[in-house]
Amino acid sequence: MEKPGLDLLQGTLDLLVLRILAPGPQHGWGISQRLQASSQEVLRVNQGSLYPALYRLEREGWITAEWGASDNNRRARFYRLTKAGRRQLEAETETWQRMTAAVARVLQTA
Amino acid sequence: MGHRLRSLRFRLGALVRRDRLETEMDEELRLHLERQSEENERAGMSPGEARRAAQLAFGSVDSLKEECRESWGVQLFDSVSQDVRFGLRGLRRNPGFTAVVVLTLGLGIGANTAIFSVVSGILLRPLPYREGDRIVALRHDTPNTNASDLGFSVPELQDLRRLSTSLDVVSEYHQMNFTLLGGAEPLRVRTAVVSAGFFDMLGVQPAFGRGFRAEDEAHGAEAVLLLSHAYWRQAFGGDPGVVGRRFQMNDKPHLVIGVLPPLPAFPGEDDVFMPATACPFRERAAATGNRQARLLSGYARLRPGATPEAARAELTALMAGLAQEHKDAYTAGAVPALAADPVRELMVRDARPTFLILLTTVGLVLLIACANVANLALARLFDRGKEIAVRAALGAGRTRLLRQLLTESTILALAGGVVGLLFAAATHGAIVGFAARFTPRASDVQLDGSVLVFTLAISLLSGLVFGSLPGLPSAELLARAASSDDGRLTAGPGRQRVRSALVVAQVALSFTLVIAAALLLRSFAKLRAVDPGFQVENVVAVPIDVNWSSFLSEERRTDVERLSAFHVAFQERVAALPGMLQVGSAYTFPLNNQFRNDGSLLIEGREATANPSRAEFLGTSPDYFRALNVPLREGRFFSLDDRRGTGDVVIVSESLARREFGGSAVGGRLSFDRGETWRTVVGVVGDIRQAALSEAPRPTLYLPFAQFPSFSFSLILRASLPPEALVASVREAARSLAPDTAVGAPRTLDQIRHESIASPRLTALLLSLFAGLALVIAAAGLSGVLAYAVSQRTREIGVRVALGAAPRDVLRLVMRQGMAPLLAGLALGVVAALGLSRLVSRLLFGIEPTDPLCFGGSLAVLLAVGVLACLLPARRAVAVEPMQALRLP
Repeated sequence: MEKPGLDLLQGTLDLLVLRILAPGPQHGWGISQRLQASSQEVLRVNQGSLYPALYRLEREGWITAEWGASDNNRRARFYRLTKAGRRQLEAETETWQRMTAAVARVLQTA
Repeated sequence: MGHRLRSLRFRLGALVRRDRLETEMDEELRLHLERQSEENERAGMSPGEARRAAQLAFGSVDSLKEECRESWGVQLFDSVSQDVRFGLRGLRRNPGFTAVVVLTLGLGIGANTAIFSVVSGILLRPLPYREGDRIVALRHDTPNTNASDLGFSVPELQDLRRLSTSLDVVSEYHQMNFTLLGGAEPLRVRTAVVSAGFFDMLGVQPAFGRGFRAEDEAHGAEAVLLLSHAYWRQAFGGDPGVVGRRFQMNDKPHLVIGVLPPLPAFPGEDDVFMPATACPFRERAAATGNRQARLLSGYARLRPGATPEAARAELTALMAGLAQEHKDAYTAGAVPALAADPVRELMVRDARPTFLILLTTVGLVLLIACANVANLALARLFDRGKEIAVRAALGAGRTRLLRQLLTESTILALAGGVVGLLFAAATHGAIVGFAARFTPRASDVQLDGSVLVFTLAISLLSGLVFGSLPGLPSAELLARAASSDDGRLTAGPGRQRVRSALVVAQVALSFTLVIAAALLLRSFAKLRAVDPGFQVENVVAVPIDVNWSSFLSEERRTDVERLSAFHVAFQERVAALPGMLQVGSAYTFPLNNQFRNDGSLLIEGREATANPSRAEFLGTSPDYFRALNVPLREGRFFSLDDRRGTGDVVIVSESLARREFGGSAVGGRLSFDRGETWRTVVGVVGDIRQAALSEAPRPTLYLPFAQFPSFSFSLILRASLPPEALVASVREAARSLAPDTAVGAPRTLDQIRHESIASPRLTALLLSLFAGLALVIAAAGLSGVLAYAVSQRTREIGVRVALGAAPRDVLRLVMRQGMAPLLAGLALGVVAALGLSRLVSRLLFGIEPTDPLCFGGSLAVLLAVGVLACLLPARRAVAVEPMQALRLP
């Protein structure tokens, strides 16, 4: 069912979402804002694609969700990193850094 | 992995909370869009613009939702339930196919379930005793004098209990009949007389009331009894209030102290249990310390860690020591050998070969059924070629298609399993009754959890077998089917080969089963044709039990005078009844394999050897042989003058006379009390099969009943009236002489003979049923495959006819195609049958497992059925109209 080439993007999105949730709970819209702001609009993702990723992360047990009130006092679903999610974030960050470092080295030397 | 498990739990949870997840998702996405529009408005857009921009940034909501659902991981379940719905719809559209498959599988699975329930109950399940594998039966043989199963005396068991280190508890057991008085009729009660510790040894608690205590065995203690579960149900309708009631049995009131739980009918079939002191004869032996009064059986619990082999060695050594110590009580030169056999093995020994053969048989039947269903499914697959091709074209992957087919076959197999369970439940009573003929453990046969698991397992397995056998047509075949007009797939040669191979296997297996059935049937026919040596027509046996307590002397010994006087008077009264032709009696009725009474003999004038002859002993009245129409070969029958003190006479059977006297035996003298009394042979009678039709006549010594009377005997009546008409007047005659006499239900010797061979008859019948089923299924398979082949070749046949082929040629053409797998199957079947018949050989009587008549007969049957199965499609081929066939698209 999975189309090739999507994996990298998916994995990356997962990693970013985990990272954004690291400081504290956040709702979906908030996450999408943070994503755009911190990447300085470089990463242009459909806001909606965030949700399948969120549900997938929830299924994996890396994040949990709870309904609560948002800053402007509206109902919103808040996502929070679990212990397993924190471990996953560390592991993926490390992998990502190793990979980008390796890619950078290749680009410089070749 | 915890992670995997968490994920699976989430998926399963998602499945259950499906609706909530959907609404939550809808709400969350809606809230997101609202929030974004608000932000856009705040940035200065008009409301409409703001909403559009928000939607643009968000992406397509519908496809996102689908993606989200995928993230929950429920789509696998979705597609399975879709497969199931689709499968059910397809099966409903094809009720004929569905019914045939479900019924065929149901019969196969049902037969397997029924037979497995017995195998599970008696062979796999532990005994309903505490650590039942440590319970052993003690056995006392002296192999060098041919004496087996001598039994134990009270002092012997006491010594073994005291001396053995490998046995934990030693209990005694023997059977006797008590008479229950105070009801409408005096009734015989089969009583087990056991040590007070017997049930503690087994580790069994009563279902109600209490068990035996040591005090119950003390002299002068109140007479108490425990009811077996079956007797409690039958005689007291399962009323727990019976505990605490007293019943008059023989000379004493007996207090019911408890009811036992359902247990195997072991060591014997007993209605009630009493402590050892209840039996006056056993008590006298205990009081006199008579080592030779070996009327007991011994049972024991092995100490933890002790093996039966170790116990055997130890007990044999102990018994040899006892024989040294008490020389007068043991036959000089007889070397004892004791055994401690696990009772579990004794209980199932007779059942194991029969039920393993039956289990093999039903397993094969199910395989044959699966092969047939696979063939049907294959044919159906080709008819559905277009449908499958369309689904493939619409994007269903190969795995998805295969899964769809497997789902269908699983649904069918599970439906077959349900039918099978119903079938097994419906036949449960009959199968338990059948098992009871082989084992006392029949009460342990239940349709319980393990049987249900078995049924589920074989259902799924057969679904898998016949679902995966057809396989999937190749993409190229599908493409062709999609473009052809009738939407049928054309079987490639490979697929036709699979179908032929299935038919070959079916023919081979069913041939094997038919041979096994033929062997058992012929063996049974031989058994039934055995001449028992006596007349069975118009002869009736009536069990009589006198109240022994009214025939005891002051010192609690049998009052032989009074007992034999009663006996003579009783015979006279019965003989005088209208319709009686001959009236005799004996210790037991013929063909009773439960009765054994053997001992050793000395022949006058012959040196006493360490290896004496042995014979069966049977007390008989003067007219016993006349009633049974047993021929007199020499000398005379007993007469009323052969009473106590009028001469020590015996009659011997023909085989005993031949063996011991080499011809004329009359006038010869022998002794069975080691030379104390010498008895003269006055007659020689024809041999009869006393124990069983399958057993050669045992050399027998007949004693005059009047000199050796018994409390319990069989009245043997040859009469011109039916048994029901006799029994009332017989009862009347007994009552007028001894009011407490229990007169049992009369049975004709014909019934007794019928009953005595019921287990081989039922086994042969069951196996024949299974073989017949297998044969029908295989014939249908053969016919179906050939019919299909004919339908594929219709055009070719049409061309041949148009070119001048005669009907005979067409017939030959088709028959040749059908006979090939048939003959191949038969050839394979002969080989397989040689294997199975060896398995069956233990059940055979009077024929070899390679009996040529059975093999030949089965071959003829298979050939006839096979040709018939081929003829139906062949006739359709002959009827092909060339023009019509050629016009076919």
